Amino acid sequence: MRRFVFPLVTGLVILAIWWLAWSAGAFPVGTVPSPPEVAHAFGEEIASGRLPADIIASLYRVAWGFTAGVLAAVPLGLVIGRSLATREALMPWINFFRSLSPIAWIPFAIVWFGVGDPPAIFILFIAVFFQITLATSAAVATVPKIYYRVAEDMGLSAADVLFRVTLPAIMPQLVTALRVAIGVAWMVVVAAEMIAVRSGLGFLIVDARNGLRMDLVVCGMITIGTIGIVLDVVFARLAKIPSVRWGFER
Amino acid sequence: MSEAILELENVGFDYPALTVIDGLDLSVAKHELVVCVGPSGCGKSTLLSLLAGHLAPTRGTVQRKGQSRTIYQDGGLFPWLTVRENISAGLPRTTPPDARDEKIAEWLEITRLGEFANTYPHQLSGGMRQRVELARALAAETDILLLDEPFSALDYQSRTRMRRELVSTLAERPRTVVFVTHDIEEAVQIADRVLVLASRPARVRKVLALPAGRSRSPASPGVALAEQAIMDELGLS
Repeated sequence: MRRFVFPLVTGLVILAIWWLAWSAGAFPVGTVPSPPEVAHAFGEEIASGRLPADIIASLYRVAWGFTAGVLAAVPLGLVIGRSLATREALMPWINFFRSLSPIAWIPFAIVWFGVGDPPAIFILFIAVFFQITLATSAAVATVPKIYYRVAEDMGLSAADVLFRVTLPAIMPQLVTALRVAIGVAWMVVVAAEMIAVRSGLGFLIVDARNGLRMDLVVCGMITIGTIGIVLDVVFARLAKIPSVRWGFER
Repeated sequence: MSEAILELENVGFDYPALTVIDGLDLSVAKHELVVCVGPSGCGKSTLLSLLAGHLAPTRGTVQRKGQSRTIYQDGGLFPWLTVRENISAGLPRTTPPDARDEKIAEWLEITRLGEFANTYPHQLSGGMRQRVELARALAAETDILLLDEPFSALDYQSRTRMRRELVSTLAERPRTVVFVTHDIEEAVQIADRVLVLASRPARVRKVLALPAGRSRSPASPGVALAEQAIMDELGLS
């Protein structure tokens, strides 16, 4: 109960302060919208169907970029984690690219993929790929040797060892990494949409700024934050799966 | 003497700049229970890895007739599988589903783990986890069982109980067993033969044959004497 009531109370307090400050004329005209203006903007955006369309556009890009990044990163991370030579050869470069903000890739994204969804998806791929590669390889490198000895006694094939030992053994760490990565991807999609596309929540904010519609900017910010929380809750759920939970309870 | 299932001849094993085992001879007969005792760090675990085939000897030959399973001190169970799934994972891949279920049920009963079949290892006590290890290793019906200080993480009572359970299970389902421990009392209670290992490089310092019948009470004939002989050999008396 407190989990819901406490945040609700803090939210109402923040709303009240905002509203009071606005009514007292604390903000210069046009810099901060009033709560009713934001509420009105929400109504307008929902009624016109623009907000749902922007949400879907952003989620669509994140879904593709995130999925592609994870699908490419996990196998590479498995190889790096298991092979010392590969680790030595690739790790400094993975770290190099991981340190680069995905936003830095925007010029290339536009030159290589033009406009529309592909450049945004590419940037999301970059945002997820290096992080998950690093997390996977680190997780694989810490799988206790004892599991491999047991697997050897059981006569498991290389494929069986991969799917029945290594992957389940890294699952708790991988789930944590996925949760972090989806958060980063959600932040990055907004930035990516400020450049190469004409839809999505990032575009909504840029477009609103261009029209000096601060009420719409806040409407976009509230939507982004709310969806960020929902995504985090969904990914946190993965840690509750019985064959993953062991990693969090020991 | 019946056929040798495990045979080590003049075996040596080196890590870079460190000779762990040198000139070790050992022959274990079918269904014999050999316990190796020695100071910690004397190469007992390396010896088991050689017997299991996880390591290849630097010198000499290791012969093994049949498959082996190793039980470790702790942490050998797959934590992402339940008790039932762990036992199942130990069975040969070719086991048909019906036979698989039957085997699992049988070993859950032998190890009295029935009500914990769907529990995960981290939810069990140390003693129960070792029972699952035992069930998983024995259900596989391999000829050889290797035990690496399997009960040393347990409290005294659980250790004593587990030792008895191991012996009674082996009485019904004999296996060729090599058991390493630093616990001399444990060694003399369950072994057919005790090998006292010298510290690095490990080699056999002394072999003690114990009177027939396991497990022995500390007061039974020969046990106290054997214990004393091992202590003398290790320079503990």
